[in-house]
Amino acid sequence: MIDFKNFQRPQRYIGNEWNVVKKSHSGRVSFCFCYPDLYEIGMSNLGTHIVYGLLNRNPDFVCERSFMPAEDLANYLKTSKIPLFSLETKTALHDFEVLGFHLGCELNFTNVLHMLALGGVEIFSAERKDLIVLGGGIVNPEPLAEFIDVFYLGEFEEVADRFIEIFHKYKDKSARLKALAETEGFYVPAFYQASRQADQYVFEQRYSYARLPQKRVAVKDLNRSFVPEAWLTAHTEIIHDRIPIEIARGCPNACSFCQARAVYTPYRQRQTATVINILQRLYQGSGSENFSFLALSASDHSEIEELIDAGLDYCRKRRIGLSLPSLRASDIVGRLYKKLSSFRKASLTVAIEAARQPLREALNKKIDLGVVFEAAKILQSLGLRQIKIYFMYGFPQETDEDLLAIGEFLDDLYRRSRLKLRVSLNVFIPKPFSLWQAKSILPEDILRRRQDLILRNLPRQRGVSVSFSSIERSLFEALVSRAGREFGKVLYLAYSRGVCFDGSRENFSFGIWKELMEEAGFDYRRCLEEQTANFPWSFIE
Amino acid sequence: MQTIKFPIAVILHKHGEMVYFSQLDLIHILERALRRSDLPLYFTQGFNPHVKISFKNGLKLGQEGFIEVIFYFTENIVFCRLKEILQPQLPEGLEIIDKEVSG
Repeated sequence: MIDFKNFQRPQRYIGNEWNVVKKSHSGRVSFCFCYPDLYEIGMSNLGTHIVYGLLNRNPDFVCERSFMPAEDLANYLKTSKIPLFSLETKTALHDFEVLGFHLGCELNFTNVLHMLALGGVEIFSAERKDLIVLGGGIVNPEPLAEFIDVFYLGEFEEVADRFIEIFHKYKDKSARLKALAETEGFYVPAFYQASRQADQYVFEQRYSYARLPQKRVAVKDLNRSFVPEAWLTAHTEIIHDRIPIEIARGCPNACSFCQARAVYTPYRQRQTATVINILQRLYQGSGSENFSFLALSASDHSEIEELIDAGLDYCRKRRIGLSLPSLRASDIVGRLYKKLSSFRKASLTVAIEAARQPLREALNKKIDLGVVFEAAKILQSLGLRQIKIYFMYGFPQETDEDLLAIGEFLDDLYRRSRLKLRVSLNVFIPKPFSLWQAKSILPEDILRRRQDLILRNLPRQRGVSVSFSSIERSLFEALVSRAGREFGKVLYLAYSRGVCFDGSRENFSFGIWKELMEEAGFDYRRCLEEQTANFPWSFIE
Repeated sequence: MQTIKFPIAVILHKHGEMVYFSQLDLIHILERALRRSDLPLYFTQGFNPHVKISFKNGLKLGQEGFIEVIFYFTENIVFCRLKEILQPQLPEGLEIIDKEVSG
């Protein structure tokens, strides 16, 4: 037994949350949900709660959790030869029948390999005997194709029952993988041959039962879909200490750069009555003092006003905090501002993306800056102190004028509103399935020049704080999200050299990755710049 | 609206897995447990109201022991009713063991 007192934040490893499920493994299929990042991040992810609830609701299935341990515990496990374990019953990962990894963030891929190794599980899919490693929440699965036995592409609510049924019906690995492969949304990479020929990614079935093309699976009716009512409530602070309630999934807009819209399609709404019913049940089950309404674009919800009224009404009576996702500036001006004053922490986030209209039009981003000024004025009159503003740069067609206009806009907004401005400037990364997936991320030197240009023209007021996303990390993210199977050897090399937690700024070093890629014979410039219409993810519709 | 508050002091035994949770964690654990119960909660006043709880002492992370906690309600709640309603809402390792005897 490990004495957790000797480690930082021992609360991460206890597994006694409110509504935690502990079942005996005997006679049940044992599944461990693995999140390749720290507890406080993984527990803030809605997907963690949905998968946990869906699987545990079946009496013959047991789902436990494991998170990437922090460095201190990881080192201790390695030196003491203790395998990484699940939180609920402290069972070693290698003793589970299925490990289900959440693969939503490319920068955590090395952590996936570390978790397998720490858990005493063979890293390569081909080396594993009985245990099945499943991966979900991923857009382009190819870089992990050698390590993951089966990917699930889509929203798990829709197939959970079929998934459970397969594991009860078939007991050996090959029969299970075959049955999964025949089910829509499941992708077994070993059943396909993938190779590069010139600039083409050639993808072929090896067996007739392997589905091609693959389809992403979406929940049909969000009003009837599963909600984890017995919310697993952490006893310690996590990154987002509030329970998210989806009011919609997907987005009816079509911004050219947006991946989320393309992946969570079609746009689906939850009715006000459903949302309030969920809120009520989640509150009774958790006692949580904070909730948030979640949507990619809340303003587009056809019942947004009723929703806010009903949500606030429920929360106000019980002194529950409710926060809203980003609203369109025009809605604040037009119809919602009176309601906003009731929010405890009213804040405004505006994703402007580009400072000049022609570029915004090219991005398909419908936003009128005049309205932003008006919205800022309204928010100021409501006692709000700051707004968050998002910009993107590094678009192929942007001009110096576009970049300089960012500073001018911020200066103007600050002078007129006197609100504190918190500005994020992110590099445009062409993501798979977005409308601009075929574009290339700009080369490092050009991105640096553009960043300098924006920086030069930014207002120097104290009320304006600006953060730039790291150019190197953006390049790396672009790379991993575009790469094919051949990137697996780079990931393995990185893992074997101890590279991990690339998601954190302090840990990430593009210099090390460049060396590793060279050593593995992987041409990263080619991967970033190649012009092709046939991507590693083109087998998915 | 809620001008009168009825304090009730109890002693909590913190042991087992709960020793890994800090005093700050404990505030959240108790607040959520109270919110799950249907007791008449007293909230702090102000812009950001929360369930009022006070502690007479604290325990270091990792330490087993007893904590004196004061809960506040908008009506008088007797100890056995509080214990009956609140105890099932507490995680293992937190036991309401006694009514604090003042003096």
